[in-house]
Amino acid sequence: MFARPEVMEIAAARAAHAALRQSAIAGNVANADTPGYRARDLAGFESIWRDTSGGELRHTRRGHLGGADAPVLGQVTTRSQPGSLSPNGNDVSLETEMVAAATVKKDHDLALAVYRTSLDILRASLGRR
Amino acid sequence: MTSFENSLAVLASGMEAQAMRLRHVSENVANADTPGYRRKTTAFEAVVTDGAKTGAVRLGDVTLDRRDLTRIHDPGHPMADGNGYYDGSNVDLVVEIADAREAQRSYEANLRLFDQTRQMSQSLLELLRR
Repeated sequence: MFARPEVMEIAAARAAHAALRQSAIAGNVANADTPGYRARDLAGFESIWRDTSGGELRHTRRGHLGGADAPVLGQVTTRSQPGSLSPNGNDVSLETEMVAAATVKKDHDLALAVYRTSLDILRASLGRR
Repeated sequence: MTSFENSLAVLASGMEAQAMRLRHVSENVANADTPGYRRKTTAFEAVVTDGAKTGAVRLGDVTLDRRDLTRIHDPGHPMADGNGYYDGSNVDLVVEIADAREAQRSYEANLRLFDQTRQMSQSLLELLRR
């Protein structure tokens, strides 16, 4: 009965994913002029979090069944954007990073809003305001 | 929270590096008319701590531009040689202005992300404050 509701678990994971992605974007923006630097990013949250009700196994860690090559939370990959490679071998595009940062902010706000609302519902069910 | 702190540290290093770059640019502009002055150039490099890249950035060593100094014809100049020429600086003001503008834009991008990261950690703390 007091098990953690899954909606809060998902919201927390999504907020954590947004924070890690923000970290990757921060590195990209700081290294926007570093020669030879390749832009990094995280796999989308959709590809990490899989619904268990669909019969598919969820894997949050390398080595889980069927999870050998699937992306896991916090795994950083280089983002492939061949168009923006500059002569010094840097392929960071500040515009792309700004769009990614806006998406991250939106994701994080959304996750926290869901978490807060779930908390309110739990509180209401306990009779507190 | 640690990833937020990491982001803030990385962005701060980015701002610091861009500010240093702007300093070198202003030194170049200030010395555009100094005879024999060679333009200072720097490259960004990744910070490596204990053999691993931290994601932070810093400005590498200062190198001097090896392009030829401009020959200026001014027979009345105290440094002029027999033909009336002396060595000026090899600073190109257009290049410096473009560099300064790029440094400013990059600095703003770092600052904006810094602010956003701060907001995100702030809203996370709001959850505890209820």
